[in-house]
Amino acid sequence: MHNIWLIAKREYLERIRTKAFLIATILIPLFMGVFVFGSGYLASRTKSSAHLAIVSSNAAFAADLKHELQSGKNSSMTIDLLTPTSASSSDETRATLDQNLQSKSGDLTGYLVVTPGAQPNARPTFTYVPRSAGDITTEDTLSTAIQNVLTREGLTHQGMGSSDIDALMTPVAIDTSKTGDSRAAFGAAYLLFFLMYMVIMLYGMNTARSIIEEKTSRVFEVMLSTIKPDEMLAGKILGVGAVGITQVGVWMIAAAALGSTSLATSLIGSGHAFISPTQIFFFIAYFIFGFLVYSSIAAALGAMTNSEQELQQLNMFLVIPLAFCFLMIFVIVHAPNSTLAQVVSLIPFCSPLLMNFRISLTTVPPWQIGLSFVLMSLTILAILWVASRIYRVGILMYGKKPNLPEILRWLKYS
Amino acid sequence: MPIVELQHVRKAYDTKIAVADLSFSIEPGSMFGLLGPNGSGKTSSIRMMIGITVPDSGTVKLFGQPFSRDLLKRVGYLPEERGLYKKMKVMDQLIFLGQLRGLDAATASKRAHMWCERLEITPAIDKKTEELSKGMQQKIQFISTLLHEPELIIMDEPFSGLDPVNAVLLMDTLVDLRKQGRTILFSTHRMDQVEKLCDNICLIHNSHLILSGSMRDIKSRYPVNRVLINFTGDASFLNHPAIHSAKNYGGHAEIRLNEGADAQALLAAAIAIGARITRFEVMEPTLEEIFIEKVTANTANAAIETGENVHA
Repeated sequence: MHNIWLIAKREYLERIRTKAFLIATILIPLFMGVFVFGSGYLASRTKSSAHLAIVSSNAAFAADLKHELQSGKNSSMTIDLLTPTSASSSDETRATLDQNLQSKSGDLTGYLVVTPGAQPNARPTFTYVPRSAGDITTEDTLSTAIQNVLTREGLTHQGMGSSDIDALMTPVAIDTSKTGDSRAAFGAAYLLFFLMYMVIMLYGMNTARSIIEEKTSRVFEVMLSTIKPDEMLAGKILGVGAVGITQVGVWMIAAAALGSTSLATSLIGSGHAFISPTQIFFFIAYFIFGFLVYSSIAAALGAMTNSEQELQQLNMFLVIPLAFCFLMIFVIVHAPNSTLAQVVSLIPFCSPLLMNFRISLTTVPPWQIGLSFVLMSLTILAILWVASRIYRVGILMYGKKPNLPEILRWLKYS
Repeated sequence: MPIVELQHVRKAYDTKIAVADLSFSIEPGSMFGLLGPNGSGKTSSIRMMIGITVPDSGTVKLFGQPFSRDLLKRVGYLPEERGLYKKMKVMDQLIFLGQLRGLDAATASKRAHMWCERLEITPAIDKKTEELSKGMQQKIQFISTLLHEPELIIMDEPFSGLDPVNAVLLMDTLVDLRKQGRTILFSTHRMDQVEKLCDNICLIHNSHLILSGSMRDIKSRYPVNRVLINFTGDASFLNHPAIHSAKNYGGHAEIRLNEGADAQALLAAAIAIGARITRFEVMEPTLEEIFIEKVTANTANAAIETGENVHA
C-alpha cells in the first residue's frame, strides 16, 4: 500500500508541475467561457440584425407582418415596406432590391415578395430572396411570422376579438416539476458522458503513455527490483487519475463560477438545470469508478505495447465501449426500466455512464446500484491483475510471446 | 552461509539458451566478479537473482533462503540499461527511489546528499536528470542503489561508459563498501577490472560456465611463466631455449617460458649478450589469457566436454 501511495504521489506531483497541465487547466475553461459567452452574444445579435424589405400590394397585410417581425417574440428586425402600384413597377422594385443584395455595400438581408392569390380568398404566395442561402434562421423566423399573421387575419375574419386571439396564440407550457426537468436530466447525462469521454481519452491514454515511457526509459527494471508490478500499475492509475480529477474539478469550479455570474444569466437565460444532491453524489461516484475501469484498461494496453504508435492502434478498445454506451443512451431514454436497459447498465464498462443515466431518469432499485459498484470493483481488480502480469512478462520476454504454462509460472512467482 | 546461491539454474528465451546450468555461490563480505563477453548470459543470470525473471529450472537462494520479494529490501541493484525519470530533479528522484526501498524522506535526503558529495555531483542536485551527462546519470543511479545500505550490492556493468577518473572513483567506492562488510557482485566484460577488485569470479561464455572459484586458486592453477622485458640493444636473447614463444614489439617483449624453465637464466643470458634491461617482470598469466585459453579449449572440446566444463 505504501508503495502504491509513493508511486501515485510521484506521478501526481510530476504531472501537476508540467506546463502542459497548467495550460490545459487554465486555457480550457477560458475557451469554455469564450465559447459560451460568445455564442450567447452572437445568438442575441442574430435575431435582431436582419434587415428585410417586403414587397406587397396589400398594405394592411404588409403592415401586420412588419409589426410581427419588428416586435414579435422571436424577432426584432428592421423592415422596409414597398408598395408597388402596378406589375411593371413591382418588377422594377425587385430589380433594385436584387442589385442591393448583390452589391457588397447593400444593407438588406433579403426581401420578401407577396403576390396576392388569384381568387379573393385564396392565400397569397410568398417569395423570399435572401442574401445568403445559408441564412436559415431568418427564413424560419419569417415563415413563423407569416403563419402567425395569416392565422390572426383568418381569426379576425371569423369575427374573433383581438384579446381572444392573443389568448389562443399563447404558447402552451407543460409542467414537469413533479418528475424533474427531463431536459435537465438529459442534459446532465450528456454532460457526464462527454466529460467522461474526454477525461478517459485524455488521462486514460496518459496512464498508458506513462507506462510506455517507463519501458522506453528503462526505469521499470529498477522499479521491478523493488516493487511488484501490480503495485506499480495501481499507483500509476491512481496518480494519473488524481491529476484528471484535479483538472476536471478545476474546470467544474470554473464552470460553476462562470454560470453564476449575472452576465451569464442575462445572456443564456435563467433556465437552470436542477440537479439534486443525490444526482451529484452518484455522478461523482460513477465518475471515479468509470475512470478507474477505463484507465485500468488503458494500463493493460500500455503494458501490452512498446510504443506510442502501437498504442494508437489499440485505443479503439477504449472507444468502442464508450460508443456502445452512447448508442444505449437512446434505448434507455425511452424505456429506462426495460430488461435491456437493466442488463446493459450492469455491464461494468457501461455502468458509469448508463446506470448513472438511469438514476437521473427513474428510480433504480438499490440492489442494482450496489451490484454495479461490486461488478466494477471486481472488473478493476481483474484487469489490474491481468495487466500487471502482461506488463512483467511482456517487458522481459524480449519479443517472445509468452505461452500459457509460462504465464502460470509467473503468476505463482509474484 | 552463502549470500547468493545458484543451483543448476537454466533459462531459455524462445530457442536461445541464455543460461545453461549455472551454479555458484557468493560468500558474505566478498567481491564477486561475473565475467564474460557480450551476450554470454551475465544479465540474464543477474535478473534471475533478483526475481525479475524466473529460472526455467534450478533454484536461486538469497541470504540462505529461497527467493522471495521481501529479501529484495536488502539488495541494491544497478541494471545494465540505466533508467531514471528524465524530467525529475536529481534529489527528488533519489529520495523517491530511497522511499521505495523503505527509507523515510528525511533519511533518504540526508544519505543522498552525503553520497552526492562523495561522488562529486553536488552541483547537479537541483537539475533535471535529462540535463545531465550520461556519466552523471550513471553516478546518480549508482547512488540510488546504495541509499538503503543494502547487504548485497548487485551491479550489472557498473563501469561501462565512464571515463577513467570516474571509473576509479566508483571502484574505490566499491572497495570501501566491501571493507564495511557488504557483499558485492558485479558483472563486466573487462577482465582487468576484475583482476584488480575481485576475490571470487565466475566466467561464463556462450551461456555456459567455464571457470569459477577464488581468484587466487584460479591463478595458482596456472604456472608463473610470463615474462615482460623492456630492453634496448641486441634482441637475440629471445631465441633462448627457455622461451616457449615471444612477441617482440621492439624494445618491449612479452615472453612465455617453457614449463619448468627459470626466468633468472633468461635474464642472465640477456645481460650477457649486452642488452640493457630497463624492466624485467615475471608474472602470472592474466585473467584474459586464462579466459582465452579456456574458451579455445572449450570450443575445441565442446562436443565431448560440455557437461564437465560446466562444473569446472
